[in-house]
Amino acid sequence: MIDVKLQKKLKAAGGDLFLDVEFKIRNGELVTLYGKSGAGKTSIFRMIAGLLNPDKGRIDVDEVVWLDTEKKINLPPQRRKIGFVFQEYALFPNMTVLENLKFALGKGRDDLFIKDLIDIVDLGDLQYRKPDTLSGGQKQRVALARALVQKPEILMLDEPLSALDYEIRNKLQVYILQVHKEFNLTTILISHDISEIIKMSDFLIELDHGKIIRQGIPAEVLTNHKISGKFQFVGEILNINRQDFIFIITVLIGKEIIKVVADEDEGKKLSIGDKVLIASKAFNPIIHKIN
Amino acid sequence: MNTIIGKIVSVESNGELSLVRMTSAGLKFTSIVIDTPETAAYLKPENPVKIIFKENEVILANRADCSISLQNKMPGEIIKVESDKLLSKLVIKTPVGNITSIITSNAVKQLDLYLGKNIVAMVKTNEIMLSE
Repeated sequence: MIDVKLQKKLKAAGGDLFLDVEFKIRNGELVTLYGKSGAGKTSIFRMIAGLLNPDKGRIDVDEVVWLDTEKKINLPPQRRKIGFVFQEYALFPNMTVLENLKFALGKGRDDLFIKDLIDIVDLGDLQYRKPDTLSGGQKQRVALARALVQKPEILMLDEPLSALDYEIRNKLQVYILQVHKEFNLTTILISHDISEIIKMSDFLIELDHGKIIRQGIPAEVLTNHKISGKFQFVGEILNINRQDFIFIITVLIGKEIIKVVADEDEGKKLSIGDKVLIASKAFNPIIHKIN
Repeated sequence: MNTIIGKIVSVESNGELSLVRMTSAGLKFTSIVIDTPETAAYLKPENPVKIIFKENEVILANRADCSISLQNKMPGEIIKVESDKLLSKLVIKTPVGNITSIITSNAVKQLDLYLGKNIVAMVKTNEIMLSE
């Protein structure tokens, strides 16, 4: 259990911001922090990592006090067992993939674990290459492996996939979920991508102006209203076609493209790129065995 | 999407399924859902509920007394008819509010549907979704 209470006055682009949050994260959960830029997400990350000091607060991780401003306890970043992945990869360009991982481990430490990591994130064929010969997705796989080299208990991901295209993002999400489960990590993710949040996280904390405004199961928080239809997906509108009195809406759900019919009045409110919830009753779809 | 505000009268559950009986403006509605009062707390008698169904699930009939399995029947007057090549959109003024139906233009001709005509709009029990 990670128990976090933080208060800090921050200078934000739109003026001063008073960050005041209190939340708990259970071990093994993947929790997403969600909210507009400037809501305080990255500041919370930096405070948990020990890179930024709160004015007042306390962080307990499995009953070990990492921070207690009243008792003047403040573990330095290197003693907090955290692995970080950011949007930019920050790999050493003069070192190969393997050397980057070994450097993160430190000299004289058992590097057997690195071999496991290389296998898990499929870097075997790339381990002797230098970062500038790799694609964005490959670099981010190296960054993910590097974050895990020190066997952290907490993995923190600050919009790690937002610079990558859809296909690659999808693959990386699978790798992240895999290492999250394999190493029994508690993972905190910052993301703006609704389908990514719903796909990956167990719990969602939504922030606005430094305060928690909503929290809960992602699909329930993000879709606002609960609807009884059990055939539900979140997707993105790719195309809108008007025909007779209906709109035929093409929606990307995961890697599949589907079409949904919408009424005129609904169709007029939708635009390409909108995130939508598609719901139907479980009675309607037919099921057909393929093999 | 047609949305009617109703009130739950009873919830009859068996395993994962519940048959929810509702009322709105004196008309009876039923919906079958894969939820029970345990999985969806709002499924309790007296609670307000949104009764939701798509325009293309609204079946139109000239008479209400025909022997038919449909459980949700809303009598009303056609207040708007728009026809295109394949599909037509009709708005029916009923005690629960205006209901939109999208049916084929062929069906409009066969049933001789016109502005001002009194008809019955119907929806199957398994086409109705519920929301808090």
